[in-house]
Amino acid sequence: MKYIQSKIVLGVMTASVMLATFTGCKKEFLDLRPYTSLTPQDALATEPDLRVAMTGVYAGIRATNLFGRTVPVLGDLMGDNIYQHPQNSNRYTQYNLMTMPVNDGDAAGMWSSAYNAILRCNNIINSPLTGTPGLNQIKGEAKAVRALLYFTLVRFYAKPYNESPSSLGVPIVLTFDITFKPARSTVGEVYDQILKDLGEAYTDMTTFTNSSLMHKWAARALEAKVRLTRNDMAGALTAANDVIANSGFTVASAASYGAYWGSATFRTDKVETLFEVSSDAVGNNGFDALGYITNQLGYGDMVVSDPLFAMFTDTDVRKAIYRQSTAGQTRHPAVFIEKFKNIATDRDETKLLRMSDVYLIAAEASVASNATNAQNFLNYVISRRDPSQAPVVETGQALVDAIIMERRKEFLVEGDRYHDLNRLKLSVERSTNYPASARSIAYTNPKRLLPIPEAEFNTNPGIAGQQNPGY
Amino acid sequence: MRKLTVMLLVCLITIGQAWAQTRTVTGKVTDENGAPIAGASVTVKGTNVGTTTDDAGVFKLDVPATAKTLTISSVNYRGQDLAIGSRTTLDAVLAAQSSNLDEVVVTAYGTTKKPDVVGSIAKVNSEVLENRPFTSVDKTLQGQVAGLQVSSGSGQPGAATDIRIRGFSSISAGNAPLWVVDGIPILTGDASRLTTTANLLSTLNPNDIESISVLKDAQATSLYGSRGANGVIVVTTKSGKAGKTKFTFDTEVGYSDIAYQNPDYTPANAAQYFELTREGLINAGIANAGNVDAIMASNFGFGNGQDFNWLENTTRRGQQQQYNIGMNGGNDKTTFNLSGGYFRQEGITIQSNFERFSAALNLRHKINKKFSVFLTSNLGVAEQQAPLAGGAFGNPVLSSYFLLPSRNAYKPDGSFNITAPDFGPGSLHNTIYTAATDKRSLRQNSIRGTIGGEYEIIDGLKFTTRYGIDYNVLEEDQYNNPFHGDGFNVSGRAFFYYTRYTTWTWTNMLDYTKALGKAEDFTLNVKLGYEANKSTGIFSNVQSQGFPPNTALIVPSVGASPIQSTRTGSDYAFVAAPFSLLSVNYKDRYVISGSYRRDGSSRFGENNIWGDFWSVGGTWNIDREGFMENQRIFDQLKLRATYGVTGNANIGNYDARALYGYGANYNQTTGSTITNAGNPNLTWENNEQYNFGIDFAILKNRISGSFDYYNRLSTDILLNEPLPPTTGLGSVSNNVGEMVNKGVELLVNVVPVQTRDFKWDISFNYARNKNEIKKIATGQEQTLNGIYIWRPGYDYQTIFVRQWAGVDPANGDPLWYVDDTKTATTNNYNAAQRSREFGSATPKYFGGFTNNLTFKGITLGAQFVYSGGNYVRDSWGGFYAGSGNGGAFGKVVRQVNERWRNPGDNATFPKYVYNGNKLAQNFSTFYLNKGDYLRLRDITLGYNLPKSLISKIGLTNVNIYARGANVWTLVKDKNLPWDPEQGVDAQSNLDVFIPKTYTIGLNLGF
Repeated sequence: MKYIQSKIVLGVMTASVMLATFTGCKKEFLDLRPYTSLTPQDALATEPDLRVAMTGVYAGIRATNLFGRTVPVLGDLMGDNIYQHPQNSNRYTQYNLMTMPVNDGDAAGMWSSAYNAILRCNNIINSPLTGTPGLNQIKGEAKAVRALLYFTLVRFYAKPYNESPSSLGVPIVLTFDITFKPARSTVGEVYDQILKDLGEAYTDMTTFTNSSLMHKWAARALEAKVRLTRNDMAGALTAANDVIANSGFTVASAASYGAYWGSATFRTDKVETLFEVSSDAVGNNGFDALGYITNQLGYGDMVVSDPLFAMFTDTDVRKAIYRQSTAGQTRHPAVFIEKFKNIATDRDETKLLRMSDVYLIAAEASVASNATNAQNFLNYVISRRDPSQAPVVETGQALVDAIIMERRKEFLVEGDRYHDLNRLKLSVERSTNYPASARSIAYTNPKRLLPIPEAEFNTNPGIAGQQNPGY
Repeated sequence: MRKLTVMLLVCLITIGQAWAQTRTVTGKVTDENGAPIAGASVTVKGTNVGTTTDDAGVFKLDVPATAKTLTISSVNYRGQDLAIGSRTTLDAVLAAQSSNLDEVVVTAYGTTKKPDVVGSIAKVNSEVLENRPFTSVDKTLQGQVAGLQVSSGSGQPGAATDIRIRGFSSISAGNAPLWVVDGIPILTGDASRLTTTANLLSTLNPNDIESISVLKDAQATSLYGSRGANGVIVVTTKSGKAGKTKFTFDTEVGYSDIAYQNPDYTPANAAQYFELTREGLINAGIANAGNVDAIMASNFGFGNGQDFNWLENTTRRGQQQQYNIGMNGGNDKTTFNLSGGYFRQEGITIQSNFERFSAALNLRHKINKKFSVFLTSNLGVAEQQAPLAGGAFGNPVLSSYFLLPSRNAYKPDGSFNITAPDFGPGSLHNTIYTAATDKRSLRQNSIRGTIGGEYEIIDGLKFTTRYGIDYNVLEEDQYNNPFHGDGFNVSGRAFFYYTRYTTWTWTNMLDYTKALGKAEDFTLNVKLGYEANKSTGIFSNVQSQGFPPNTALIVPSVGASPIQSTRTGSDYAFVAAPFSLLSVNYKDRYVISGSYRRDGSSRFGENNIWGDFWSVGGTWNIDREGFMENQRIFDQLKLRATYGVTGNANIGNYDARALYGYGANYNQTTGSTITNAGNPNLTWENNEQYNFGIDFAILKNRISGSFDYYNRLSTDILLNEPLPPTTGLGSVSNNVGEMVNKGVELLVNVVPVQTRDFKWDISFNYARNKNEIKKIATGQEQTLNGIYIWRPGYDYQTIFVRQWAGVDPANGDPLWYVDDTKTATTNNYNAAQRSREFGSATPKYFGGFTNNLTFKGITLGAQFVYSGGNYVRDSWGGFYAGSGNGGAFGKVVRQVNERWRNPGDNATFPKYVYNGNKLAQNFSTFYLNKGDYLRLRDITLGYNLPKSLISKIGLTNVNIYARGANVWTLVKDKNLPWDPEQGVDAQSNLDVFIPKTYTIGLNLGF
């Protein structure tokens, strides 16, 4: 019996010791950390960390639903520049038909991708680190990108500033707070925020590295565009003139124009591109890249409206980056887009701010105050696209029309046209290439704006009742 | 860790000493007719000292001097206790029984006699698992257990399977049950990263399984604590039995076809497609009568004389075969079971197949009377090819519906057609070509094993230590050729993904059984133990592109440009310290049981690591009462009642942490971004469950069964709570809301006829579950999740959907009801409100029933499964049946035949307008069908050759049979486009077709 008792005691002791041993190390045993992530504090601790986070911002705005594809495609498809060919992969069909449902995936994707990128910017801008030129540069870049994102959102989801600055804009979110339930700010407030960011960015930034990173002059050029959209002609002209006079950026020449579009790398030579979103052989949107949906070697869904193509003269260097199909080709007859040639390895960048845009902004902003200057700005761009074309001599509305037409030709498939039509409050008059039910879209048509995603209404009581009409 | 190992060794060595003196008892075990019972178990009561009888029914056992009683038991016989007294010879006569009242049931961390069972446990024996034409055991369980819902949306051999026990209890944490093999929790589910669908259980040969216990209620699962909330499936593999070495050989060969096909949903031919498209282009204003043929000719191949049936050419008759060999035997000291298997199955869709090699060895050795050691090991290598699913252009099922019949897979000279105009860049892929050239393969290597020892410290007190390894390596290869398809634009590409999950589990347990009281009327059982578990995940990706212009070289090393070369990991650690169970049994009449377990998980924040889980339960075996002795009606009558709390931590390993992740790279420089908001308060999800059950057997066990009622309440549900997109993040992990599942489970077994030569068995099971969300996020009335809406008072998978109101006869417009009142209709999709009460994707009831007829050596068995009360979504119907949406893609026959053409038509489908008519293609009840079905899951006709005949050639068993699986399916909704089995979310996804299989087989024993 004694033997048995000692066995029990031994067994219980053994078990207890093992338990105790184990309990001693279990805290470490249960503290397991991820392999590819840090805490936000550790990840944003130093200036080099913030630079890495800023790189993450640029990667974020390359998203397919942002500047990677949807923003440039919709900017033309919702206008009258490009259409979805009947033989297609069924992408953006509802925009061709202008029958977007309230739960449209592309509209929802653009919204969430933009606010995700804004969050990335906010975390940099709000970092307690300050005081060095490097930090100022990084924060300035983040502010400029945040301005670009709000400028994109407010133009897709809200009425034009020219309609009414007090109409509903988009929610302004400047800090990371998962409990924040913001309402839509007014259009005017959103524009004020954009200009505030751009003003600070212009001062903060001192370095130009290449066209794929934000810099002082890109911020200034964007300011010109924002002010033009706000109908602030004097302000737009001041900003545009500053870029033209002081930035050192030039408009690509007619001779270099073809090569300019063929290149898949960012630029350091200050020719034409002020800012673009870069894609490379590894970091790219693959089959969901802009080039893949516009190039006939990809999906090739998007093609140019016939009457627009007819407006290019044969001597216009831009005509060569579009191509009329020939009999026997798939999708014949159609005008193919060859602006984005690199769809295999290193993909094309998405150009967002170009010097020709700055000149055309300066031209439009000068029409009322100095028609000669306006003609000169416009003719400068024309001379570098179609040197044999006679200079424009019109004034007044005819001059404005000429500038808008030049913009249409210059920025085809770059997502500019729809915003021009909206800010000028023009009806969209599409060619017979488009479905019969969607050829004339009045300025008052509610489908001129995108729906605020349902996911926002489901989770954010602050925005209740603020959906755009018609959805 | 080293300290621990040393301690364990010390423990084992110290207690591994010789024991006191013994004596020998011999005897013979026979049935009521005097025939010897071979393989009967003979043990000294309350110990694990025992043996089994030989073929003559004879046993010889050395029993301790202190031994008082021998317990003799055998499957299908009523067990017996015999007092040893001073005798050295003991014969036993066992009475046959049909419902195995005294059989031992595998429960959590051990086994339990049936009268002692308190919880709700269902047992499945090897006979219904062996030699089935299914790639993994989970698929075989369908319809076998009341309350166990099994569904797989894909007919891909080796596909993942969804299992739910008693409904959905969680939202973002897993709903799958825990699988335990030979005492060790194993990783299950789909661990692949590049493969369309895969299943870790497919590496486990079902023929290696002895039995499966499905633990359903809180008492049964509570010892698994935080992992028991969704039920536990306990698998015991075959172990050795002492006696002459026995051999088995089993083989089965056959083929498979599509189990369910709706002729209305087969692809339209060329004439039909062009009839539609001509009409649609004109209706859309894209073409007019004058130019429509030219447009169709240049874009869609109109007039090229082709009419290619893609469905017929991307499907085939799948071949199937399996071979299993087994060897089983041993002596008093050492027993073993050794087996090997080969299984091969081709999917019905091209590029779909599966092959498994498996081996298993179980050993048990008694070092001495007190001390034994054991090994269980199970090895499996499963290799599969799985085509893409869903909307991928390379999905052969998609291409069979979406590719136009005017696109022929072959050129007139017989070569593959992979160029413009039919298959230019960006077009849908010629999947017949890519199936021949491209590779999408997965190889899963699994080792599941345990080693351990058992030591009897004193009579009734046993210490068990068990160290288990669950080792899974997945190697995935993908190659896309440079000429056509996904690899075209990058001149060919290849991937290699390596995934390894290694989990070790170490369990130490003291188990004490003691008879108490003067008459030893009370039996006390105490279990006390702890367990530690760590899972390590390792992931490495390689990808390159730029391949030579051939299709022979397919590994990433050949590619010129590296794209990915990554290595990462994910770890999980878990401890249960302690876990404990106490049960008291009074004369087998009353048993009460209680358990407690404290679990810690690395997934939660520092303050919330620990969770406490417990259960209480009792059972009353009325049939064991004195007053029942003289009645002749009830052979068994048992009441059970349990309550307990289990937990669920089945979320991402790092969900609680705020994270900045790397990999948001730009210009090939490193970038970081916030990836997870984190929640330091994140903690265990709790599952409180009541269960009341009754087990009965009457009329000499001719009718038996059980009935259970349960009520499961999940609180602090782990939810990826959606955040406003303006926050910049999609969701945050949180403990939000409550959900309840209430239901009943019924099992009835009837033996209507039982004579010497003829026996008829019927078994029927039925389960009904009602799921109801009680509470969602604070301040929210509803939460949307895809097509579902979560709202208090409603089922978790309630479909949030606009209601189709038919077609306007006047103009062919699609119509939807404006709201739930169904009083007004609209042709504006956006103006129609979604119904919140239409129905659910979850079946209201499901189950199975089996008929087995045995006449002499001939057996005929049929198993049906059924399910009903849910809706199934035709997820891709908006394309092939979308009234013109996706005009450049193929259409189904029903779209052609039932469309609106002229004013006044009462049509099912709206006017066909190229690229869509007023969003008719968008999700509405038009794309939902009732999911009710009845399916003949298994029908087998077999013949057992007479023993007298085969014994002459040295065989003990010869059985030949013919079997059909899924051979007949009845659905309620004649318009159901796809197989009614589409996974638990009931959404079709252009998956490999679910097969019906015909096989013939042979089982040999010698």
